[in-house]
Amino acid sequence: MAENYKSEQHDSDHTEAQHEHMTIPRYLGIFAILVVGTILTYVTAQFDLDWIFPGANTLLALIIAFTKMTFVVLFFMHVYWQSRLIWLTVVAGFFWMAIMFAYTMQDYLTRSQGLFNN
Amino acid sequence: MAHAEHTGDHYHPPGLKHQFEDMKQQEESVSIGMWMFLVQEIMFFGGLFTVYLVFRSRFPMAFAAGSNHLDAFWGGLNTLVLIVSSLTMALTVYYAQKGNRNMQVIMIVLTMIFGTVFLGVKAIEYTDKYNHGLVPFAGLNKKVKADEHPTGGEHSSIANPLETKVSAAETTTTEEHHYVNPRGEFQWNYGESLVAQAEKGGFLTEYEKSGYYSNGKIDAGKFRERVRSFYWIYFAMTGLHALHMIIGLGLMLWLLWKAWIGTYSSEFFAPVEMAGLYWHFVDIVWIFLFPLLYLLGRHFLHGGGH
Repeated sequence: MAENYKSEQHDSDHTEAQHEHMTIPRYLGIFAILVVGTILTYVTAQFDLDWIFPGANTLLALIIAFTKMTFVVLFFMHVYWQSRLIWLTVVAGFFWMAIMFAYTMQDYLTRSQGLFNN
Repeated sequence: MAHAEHTGDHYHPPGLKHQFEDMKQQEESVSIGMWMFLVQEIMFFGGLFTVYLVFRSRFPMAFAAGSNHLDAFWGGLNTLVLIVSSLTMALTVYYAQKGNRNMQVIMIVLTMIFGTVFLGVKAIEYTDKYNHGLVPFAGLNKKVKADEHPTGGEHSSIANPLETKVSAAETTTTEEHHYVNPRGEFQWNYGESLVAQAEKGGFLTEYEKSGYYSNGKIDAGKFRERVRSFYWIYFAMTGLHALHMIIGLGLMLWLLWKAWIGTYSSEFFAPVEMAGLYWHFVDIVWIFLFPLLYLLGRHFLHGGGH
């Protein structure tokens, strides 16, 4: 079996890589980042950041949420060591959702309801 | 089949299905299948996030008002509970890869405990919404007869701590309010102060105004319907998420049995890993639901009239 694996492309050789890369201290490290992110989300939501620009609170909350998601996907879900096909699948999933958001909002935000002229 | 070398006394790993060349190929196929399913799930929740995006972009103040009557403490606690369960799930996969059966079983049980705690907190929150007439279905709220609370102050004395955080102007109206809900309809007894605040701050758009105002004045009935939209979205999103948690717990139960009888080893652990992917996905959904549902209007409570 081992010689079969050697002939494989390096990026599909993920199970070995996982054993090497994800150790218990690293899992705990990711966990700590997620907890800190949660507390940060809660604390920053209490401050009014509208003086920067309207909606700054929401943007900051989403940035933190995306960061947390990235850590979960890459390390808890092991995507970091997966093949390019799986990377592509994951990225495509979010890309398709972005398409759904973008095309829905380009409709709703441009309806003549006075959103842009007051 | 061309795989004559797989017959005879050739070593056959446990869990390898006959259609795959080897464990690597099987792992890859199983992973891609699971990810395809998760991409479909992203779009499934994505539809609800789109609804959220459309409605919130139109009526941000009604959303903020509704959100401020969710309990951010319970929501935050649940976020932490899910993150811990994600850690124990990740460790389940880790120990399955190491072939450590006992630690696997312990970690699965811990994951299930945290998953159940999450659902318990959710039940507490839903009960609170039921008691305060915030379920957007007519008839699915607690029925309060007119003679049940002869004095208005009685209701506010048992109010949850969150309500006391609301600005002084709203608190006085709540105290005077005679809480009556004989048919269990959706109620909004917390005023429209955020709309006034937005108008004073000059960020109430004409479109948003048209959703709250009748004849140039704030219309409590119209505003209530906008807040009701928020609670619809809240219940749809957290309800679908809770359903995923229940399905996840079912998967864990199955996994617990399989791990108990020692199915998984360093050579065959794909089912553990796939159940883990599902569990982490559900965690990710909550990572977004928490700030978007519980915290979106929180800064208005402290900011005053900006």
